[in-house]
Amino acid sequence: MKKVSIIGAGHVGATAGLYLLEKRIADVVLVDIVEGMPQGKATDLSHAAPLRKYLNKIAGTNDYKDIAGSDVVVITAGLPRKPGMSRSDLLGINAKIVGGVAEQVKTYAPDAVVIVVTNPLDVMCHVVKEATGFPKNRVMGMAGVLDSTRFRLFIARELGVHLSDVVALVLGGHGDDMVPLPRYTSVSGIPITELLSPETIERLVARTRKGGGEIVGLLKEGSAFYAPASSITEMAEAIVLNIRRLLPASAYLEGEYGLNDVYVGVPAILGENGVEKVLELDLTDAERKALHASAGSVAANVAQWKEMKGKE
Amino acid sequence: MKKVTVIGAGNVGTNCALFIAEKNVADVTLIDVKPSYAAGKALDLMESGPIRDYDVVVKGSDDLYDLVYSDVVVVAAGKVREPGMSREDVLDDNLDAADTFVREIAKFAPDAVVIVVTEPVDAMTYYILKRTGFPENRVLGMAGALDATRAGEIIAEKLNMAATDVEAMFIGGHHDEMIFLPQYSRVTGIPVTELLSPDEIREVAQKVKNAGHEILEMMKRATAFYAPAAATARMVETIIRERRRILTAPVYVSGEYGLADLCIGLPILLDKTGVRKVLELNLTGEQKEALVKSAEVLRKTQEKVTSRLQEVAS
Repeated sequence: MKKVSIIGAGHVGATAGLYLLEKRIADVVLVDIVEGMPQGKATDLSHAAPLRKYLNKIAGTNDYKDIAGSDVVVITAGLPRKPGMSRSDLLGINAKIVGGVAEQVKTYAPDAVVIVVTNPLDVMCHVVKEATGFPKNRVMGMAGVLDSTRFRLFIARELGVHLSDVVALVLGGHGDDMVPLPRYTSVSGIPITELLSPETIERLVARTRKGGGEIVGLLKEGSAFYAPASSITEMAEAIVLNIRRLLPASAYLEGEYGLNDVYVGVPAILGENGVEKVLELDLTDAERKALHASAGSVAANVAQWKEMKGKE
Repeated sequence: MKKVTVIGAGNVGTNCALFIAEKNVADVTLIDVKPSYAAGKALDLMESGPIRDYDVVVKGSDDLYDLVYSDVVVVAAGKVREPGMSREDVLDDNLDAADTFVREIAKFAPDAVVIVVTEPVDAMTYYILKRTGFPENRVLGMAGALDATRAGEIIAEKLNMAATDVEAMFIGGHHDEMIFLPQYSRVTGIPVTELLSPDEIREVAQKVKNAGHEILEMMKRATAFYAPAAATARMVETIIRERRRILTAPVYVSGEYGLADLCIGLPILLDKTGVRKVLELNLTGEQKEALVKSAEVLRKTQEKVTSRLQEVAS
């Protein structure tokens, strides 16, 4: 049986565990530093097994030894954003947390594919890649699937069509740095540019960019976790079951799209080796410029992190 | 619970009932002319219910009165091709078969949406539309959804990617003149024109055209039924669950794409009312010509249907 370990058993991590069990994808281990909490959530989930017909094992732990043998490790550990806080504000503290987690992953799950979820996402991918020393295909970030699922929902509601018929491709960094590609966003194959006015598309794009913030604003305490957990599950499933889905993911680029040494959201084939391949689309000048701007903002954050690290 | 009646408890009809039951979409009544045949299929299906967690009831019947209260009627009755035969070769037999139940559909299920699966599907859809006298939005065929799922698998295999990410569009008659629209066929939003060479695209189109024939040649005594049933179930589910999906299906045209008084495969918005509207896409010049040519081929078959309609009327 395949195994997925989730570091950070908060709302995102535990809900991802729930979805993995519901879809019978893999055994799940929830890891958290809070004593008793991951154990409690895992036990609670196990009690639902007879009703929900789970076939996989679920365990909670405070000990990283228990992630041994993981096919996939999902890193959700870190502080969530508070209202008014930008993703960059989180950088310093989450880099420390995620760096520490990555050391443990390197020790106990040296063959795993790592999906990074902690924000600011693209920078945290750099942190994990450096701390684990894993090859680039085995460290990726979850952002594009989440931005796309939000964009898809807004498009489906606008047109009054079935959610499943809408497919969206979103590149670039997460949130404000997102680069939507309306040309590559379609309803049953028909690009939305033939179905919606540019103004409407821009309105939906703007809402998608602020999608995380919208939920934070509504919840007041805490941030979104259902859609992020679904997005994690989609990626983990593709890797664990080696189904080679073409999904947007934050991947390490070495020359693709004219970008180097940077994690940024691109279309990638996900399979058992993690990022099996990055697809290079034929972007227009404007799209390419937006992607480069997005990558530039990631690079600036990476530089900021390196500077913080240097001062310690 | 809503109700779907499937006329014809052969492989397509029964597997359509299976897929509808597996997703707990609606109660299903299978009707077949062979006495107790449909009842046997239904009982077998229901006996898997405790294991497969069915909420719905599947019934079998040989009495057309059991069409009553249907929200959707699937027509899957008639002969299938044998190796060496074309879809048009079964037209006469299947018009005869249709004559045994069209009046009953109109009488017992006057508000239902009818999905025609029986080949040749474009002509049969036209015939059943005319014979039931239903409004044009409530009688449509199943073809494009099948071509799309087949193309999805073929494209995914070619690209070594997951089929679930592929969507593909075919229009025109469900015969050798079906038209692949690569610009409206995508993998996670990326048009296949950016992923496959023109030669590979032609190859995909050709494979999809041959797909039904290929399976017939393998099985000899049966035509494909899993994918056709899955495509039909998808359409049924859209109508029953009151969803709105864009897919292609043989529908009656009155002016769309410059075509009239014909049933031909076109992209539609399918909802609880049936065909909510026909979508007009940007076709290339070549595709427009191909559509005209495909319509001409269909008209020849339809002439036979029209003379049958005149016979019935007189």
